[in-house]
Amino acid sequence: MAPNSNKYLRNDTGLAYLFNSPLIIITLIFVFIPVVGTLVTGFYRDVTFMPNKFLGLANYERLFEDIHFWQSIQFTVLFVTVSVMFELFFGMIFALILNETFPGRGILMIAILIPWAIPNAISARIWELIYNFEYGIFNFLVIHSGLSAAPVNWLGSPISAFFSIVISDVWKTTPFVTVILLAGLSTIPKQLYEQAMIDGTNILQRFSKITLPLLKPVIVVALLFRTIDAVRIFDLIYVLTGGGPGGSTTSISLYAFKYYLNGDFGYGSAISVIVFLVASGLAILYLKVGKFTEMIK
Amino acid sequence: MKKKYLKWLIILLLMLIGIQCGNSSEQFTIWIGGSPRELDYWQQIITEFNKQTGYNLQLVRQPTYSDQRRQSLVIDLEAKQPNPDLFLMDVVWLNQFAASNWLQPLDKYVKDNDFQLHQFFQSILNSVDKYKGNLYALPVFLDVALLYYRKDLLEKFGYSEPPKTWSELLNEADKIQKIERKNNPNFYGFLWEGAQYEGLVCTFLEFTSSHGGGIMNNGKVDLYRKSNIEALQFMQDLIHKYKISPPSTYTEMKEEEVRLSFQRGNALFERNWTYAWKLHQSNGSPVKGKVGLTILPHFKGDSSVSTLGGWHIGISRYSDEKEKAWKFVKFITSFKSQKKLILNVGWNPSRKDVYKDKQVIAEAPQIKELYYVLKHTIARPTVPYYSQLSDIIQRYVNDCLSGKISPSTALQKMQNQIKEVEKIYGTE
Repeated sequence: MAPNSNKYLRNDTGLAYLFNSPLIIITLIFVFIPVVGTLVTGFYRDVTFMPNKFLGLANYERLFEDIHFWQSIQFTVLFVTVSVMFELFFGMIFALILNETFPGRGILMIAILIPWAIPNAISARIWELIYNFEYGIFNFLVIHSGLSAAPVNWLGSPISAFFSIVISDVWKTTPFVTVILLAGLSTIPKQLYEQAMIDGTNILQRFSKITLPLLKPVIVVALLFRTIDAVRIFDLIYVLTGGGPGGSTTSISLYAFKYYLNGDFGYGSAISVIVFLVASGLAILYLKVGKFTEMIK
Repeated sequence: MKKKYLKWLIILLLMLIGIQCGNSSEQFTIWIGGSPRELDYWQQIITEFNKQTGYNLQLVRQPTYSDQRRQSLVIDLEAKQPNPDLFLMDVVWLNQFAASNWLQPLDKYVKDNDFQLHQFFQSILNSVDKYKGNLYALPVFLDVALLYYRKDLLEKFGYSEPPKTWSELLNEADKIQKIERKNNPNFYGFLWEGAQYEGLVCTFLEFTSSHGGGIMNNGKVDLYRKSNIEALQFMQDLIHKYKISPPSTYTEMKEEEVRLSFQRGNALFERNWTYAWKLHQSNGSPVKGKVGLTILPHFKGDSSVSTLGGWHIGISRYSDEKEKAWKFVKFITSFKSQKKLILNVGWNPSRKDVYKDKQVIAEAPQIKELYYVLKHTIARPTVPYYSQLSDIIQRYVNDCLSGKISPSTALQKMQNQIKEVEKIYGTE
C-alpha cells in the first residue's frame, strides 16, 4: 500500500505544479526576470553612449551623494504619508455610509467608484484641465467667489503643486480603499452592534470598540496596497507636473525614469532597485505589524 | 469558470507574444511628433513622396512633447528594432544619438552626384550634425532666437532703429515703459524666457556669448569667468534692479508665455523663436503689423549671437530600408520641399538657395533678416550627456534670477557640479 500512496502523492505534487505553471511562468517572465535584470544592471555602467563596465556598488555610492535623489525621496515620503492618510480617512467615511442600507445606495456607490475606473493618465489630464491657469475651473471658482483677484498658478509653486497632486491622487484612489473597507465591514456580524446597543453604548464607542478592532486586518491590507502603490507613483505626476516646478515634485520613480531617458540605464536601475527595496520593506513591515500571516492561519 | 478564464488568459498571452513577433520588419516608417496641424502637413509630404517613388513610407505619429518623442525613440533604438527607419531629432539630441551608435553615417550617401551638400550651412553641419568626423544627420528646418520689437512704439518715441546693444535696449525700454505704464499697468520693457526649462539655457547662452563668454571654451565647460558673471548679473538686474522684465520671468516665462504677453500688447521687446512671427502677424492679433524682428543685441564691444534650434533627420543604424530612407532624406531636404516648408508652414529652410528665392522673399520677407541671424548662431554644448548639463545650468541660473544666489556663486556651483557629471560621463 505504501508505495502506491506515495505515487499518488507524487502525482498530486506534479499536478499541482502543472496547474500552477501558468502563474509560475507569468511570475517568472513579468516579475522575476525584470527584477533580477534591474538588479544586475544596477551594478554596471550601462550608458548608451559609453562602453559597458562593471562598477560594483559605485552607482549606489553615487546615489548617496546625489542631493536630487534625496529630494525625490523626501517628496515621495511626504506624498505617501499625506495622500494615504487622506485616502484612508475618506475611504472609511464612504465605507461606513455605504455599509448602511438607504434608498439611492446603489447610485451613490457607483458615483464613488467611478474615479477608480478611470485610467491614471486620463484622470491626470482631467485634473490638469481643472488646475489650468487660464481656463481651469479652480481658477474660475476662486475668482468668481472673490477668494483671489488674480488667477492662481496651481501647478506653478512647489507647495500648491504638491497639494494639487495629493488632491488628484486622493480623488482617484479613495474608491479603492472604500471597497476594501466595505468588504471588511460586511463581515462584522450585526448581532455585535445590537448587543452593544442593548448595553447602552453610543455610536462612537461602537465604532472604536467593535468596528475598528475587527476591521484592523482589512485596514492593514488597504494601507499595504495603497502605500506600495503610492511609493511607486509615476503616471499622475508625469502628466500633471512632469516633476516640476524646479524638480520639487519629482518622485523616485520619475527620477529613475529621467536617467533612463538620458541613456543612463545603470544609474536608473540603481534608483529603481531602491524603489523596489522600499516597497518590499514596507510590505514586510505592514505584514509584521498587522500580524497578517497569523490571521491567514 | 476558472478553466474558462485560464483559456482566455492563455489566448491573451499568445496574442501579446504574437504582436511582438509580428512586428513586421518589412514596414518602412518615419517617426515624427508635433501638433496635429504639423502632422497633417507631414502626411501630405509623405503621400507625395510615395506617389513619386512608389514606396510605402508610413508616418508614425509621435506625441507633441519633445521629451516624449525622445523617449519612444530611445526605447526602440536601444532595442535595435528595424523600425523606425527614419526620424526627426531635436538639435540637442544629435550628439547623444550619434555617440550611442544609433545613427547611420550619411557620408557615403551625400557623395551622390545630385545631392548638393554645399547648399547647407557648413557651420551648422560641422557643429551639430557631425560626430567624430562623420555626418550623421541633416537639418530639415532651422530655428533661431530673435529680438521682436514694437515698431509703432519705437517710432512714437523717436527711435528709427531697433537697439543694437543691451544698454540701448535697456535705455529705450526703461523710458518707454515709464510712459506706457500710465495706460497699461501690465506693460513691461523686455520679455524673455527665464523659467526653469531648456529655453533658459538658450537665453543664458545668448546673454553670456554676446559678452564674449559662454558655456564652452576651447571644447571645455568654462562657466566661472568674468564675462559670464557680468552677463548673468545683467540678466538678474533686468528683473530686480532695472525692473524692465517682470518677476514672473523666472517663475513662468517660457516661449508661449512670452509670446502671449507680447501679443496682448504688454511689452516693447521680446526674445523668442521664429515661430512667434507668424502668430504675431495672424488675424486677430492685437500687435498685427506693429512688430519688427532683428538679431538679438550684444554688449558693447562684442557681437550678437543667437541659439541654434531646429529639427534634423537621421536614418536608424538598425533600419532595414536604408537606401529607401536616404531617398526620403534627399526628398525632404530638396530645394522644392524646403521651399514648400517655408511657404506653407513657415519653417525656416536649411538650404541657402531657398533664402535667395524670389518667390520666398516676396511671400516671407522676414527671411532676409533670418539669413543674417543664421550666420551668427551658436550651438548648445555638443556632448552626449547634454541633458545633465542642461539640468544643472537651468537650476542655478534660475536660482540666480530669482535673487536667491549671486551670479558668481551660481556660476561656481554650476562649474563644480558639471565637473562631477564630466567625471561620470566624460571619460573614455
